[in-house]
Amino acid sequence: MQLELKDIHKSFADKQVLQGISFTVESGKAFGLLGRNGAGKTTTIRILMDVFPANSGEVLLDGKPIDYTKTGLGYLPEERGLYPKKKIIEQLIYFAELKGCSREQAIKSIDYWLGRLEMTEYRDKRLDTLSKGNQQKIQLITAVAHDPDIVILDEPFSGLDPVNAMLLKDVVREEIESGKIVLFSSHQMNYIEEFCDSIAILNKGQIALKGDLHQIKHNYRRDKLVVRSAAINQIAAESGLSCTVTDEDTALVRMASPEDKQKIMQMLTSKYDIDEVKVFEPSLNDIFVEYAGEGENQDEAV
Amino acid sequence: MKQFKTILKFELNNLLNNKTFKIVTIAIMVIIAGVMFFPRIKGMIVGDGEGKKEEAAGEGGSLMLIAADASVESSVQEAFKAAFPGYNVQFTSDSIDEIKEKIDKEEAECAFVLKDITDYTYIVGNLSMYDDNMDIADETLLNLYRMKTMAEKGISAEEAEAILNTEINYEVESLGKDQGMNFFYTYIMIFALYMVILMYGQMVATNVASEKSTRAMEVLVTSAKPASMMFGKVLASTIAGFVQLICIFGSAFLFYNLNKEYWGENPIIRSIFDMPLNLLVYMLVFFVLGFLVYAFMYGAVGSTVSKLEDINTAVMPITMIFIIAFMVTMFSMSSGNVDNILMKICSYIPFTSPMAMFTRIVMSTVPWYSIAISILILIGSVIGIGFLAAKIYRVGVLLYGTAPKIGTLIKSIFEH
Repeated sequence: MQLELKDIHKSFADKQVLQGISFTVESGKAFGLLGRNGAGKTTTIRILMDVFPANSGEVLLDGKPIDYTKTGLGYLPEERGLYPKKKIIEQLIYFAELKGCSREQAIKSIDYWLGRLEMTEYRDKRLDTLSKGNQQKIQLITAVAHDPDIVILDEPFSGLDPVNAMLLKDVVREEIESGKIVLFSSHQMNYIEEFCDSIAILNKGQIALKGDLHQIKHNYRRDKLVVRSAAINQIAAESGLSCTVTDEDTALVRMASPEDKQKIMQMLTSKYDIDEVKVFEPSLNDIFVEYAGEGENQDEAV
Repeated sequence: MKQFKTILKFELNNLLNNKTFKIVTIAIMVIIAGVMFFPRIKGMIVGDGEGKKEEAAGEGGSLMLIAADASVESSVQEAFKAAFPGYNVQFTSDSIDEIKEKIDKEEAECAFVLKDITDYTYIVGNLSMYDDNMDIADETLLNLYRMKTMAEKGISAEEAEAILNTEINYEVESLGKDQGMNFFYTYIMIFALYMVILMYGQMVATNVASEKSTRAMEVLVTSAKPASMMFGKVLASTIAGFVQLICIFGSAFLFYNLNKEYWGENPIIRSIFDMPLNLLVYMLVFFVLGFLVYAFMYGAVGSTVSKLEDINTAVMPITMIFIIAFMVTMFSMSSGNVDNILMKICSYIPFTSPMAMFTRIVMSTVPWYSIAISILILIGSVIGIGFLAAKIYRVGVLLYGTAPKIGTLIKSIFEH
């Protein structure tokens, strides 16, 4: 399966929220939708889930407009919350039934998921008796219990302890391997890097960057060197290079062009006592800050 | 449709299993049972004691003093004793000041000081609102005076008595409605409608707003159509409201019938339980439709609120409309003219017609086509307001922060 958003525009009142969003997600792969707060992620997700229509643009599944009556969607919203006073099993059945499950199917699937997430003992408890992390696991069940074709997880890892995070990682991995379309939205870049094959970075309602994550990293300008040396301050002061000292003994050296790499490396190793010098490989975090942070930062500087 | 059923079932389950709902319903039923069994229980406890008490009243009742001239006294004595069986009537020759002192000390309850058979002063400690002693005294004295005068004119005592006791025979043939009879069930229906709409309307609004404030809405809105949500919730509260009313009125009916013989011929109670079937049907129709109109509005308003604290302010306009409708109907009812121009207009406005039209049907004569038009307008409005409410709901539930202005809201509805 292939989910495609094509040139989505959306405005509320006079505010343009989305200005031509396009991206494609393949089944069996995870996709990361990144962006700062207010970039338009939630609006994109809501249009994708048919909460409200776009002003223009299409949501396509395998090239045809998506049929929401036949396509199962599961959603873990960033703003968590269910019915605090209701028994867990009752509300889970309710949500699964709303998504089209029969009662029997729902109970069977929910019992499986409660077991899978080590929550069986809470089956007949009220939701508000659970800890925040456990409530989140219950909320995850509402997103997956009806066996949806498309799973949308908004900040799935926030608020989970390392053990639960590990458990959730396994679940997410299983969902991806079972051939579902998994769409992530998160600020925690390490998880995106771990799961997502491709990403799109939203900035002010537009796609600032999208594509295969490895490709993006590989294509990133290789014009910085990481230099580690005990004499890093001396290097920064007298070498004449544009250095940014990032640590006690480390600095980032910006080169005029990637071709200068050899020259600068040789110069540094011959002149100074260098522990390490290598081309700077950007993390997703760095890429995110560069693409999503733009503009906003300038505003702040003013 | 399946979604709608799921929502209806879930919401209804929530309402009916709600502890407050159960407690309130049972408490009201217990109170009704208490009221309905009261005459029977009273009869069992007091039992035979009642008869003795009445006999004793003649001697043991409160003291009533009569001061009169000797000329008047003889004729008045008998008549006053007969007219005030509950009092210990005593004649006295005390002066007015002495009588006042006795009443002050509460030795006597009241006194009549007769100057003449047609002229007296009534002395009493506190004049109660329900004191009818003067009316009784007036009648007794007037009767005595007439008898005496007629006797003087040569009419025998028997003839005089016959003349005085002549009664007029009459029969009432009302071609329209008997307002007095119908007043009570109109009153009950209007009041029940008022209570139920305010209670359940508020409940629908709170229900929607709390889903929003707990953010359960985030999942719901992606799982179900807003129209299904809205209609499911409102219909669930309609059914719950009806279950409650059936419990209350059903128990009243049951307990009344169990104790029918102890209630005797109480016309008010009888008129309530002998409500004609066609009026009951009208009541159901107007009740359900009126309830739906308001429940949808409350639901829509609830969806625009982010915090539960803001609900009361937000629903205020609806409550105001409703209270005005209630007041207009109530005032028209007690004025006796339910066909005034205001009521006629109100019978066709969906916010007021459930109360206004029902009242007119019961207490006056309304042509069938007027009723039909009113019901059709109401049905149309229920559907219209229902879908509009669903639209407001869809926009409203996703707006957090300050509640939107009505203008902005309507604009955003038509944008989608």
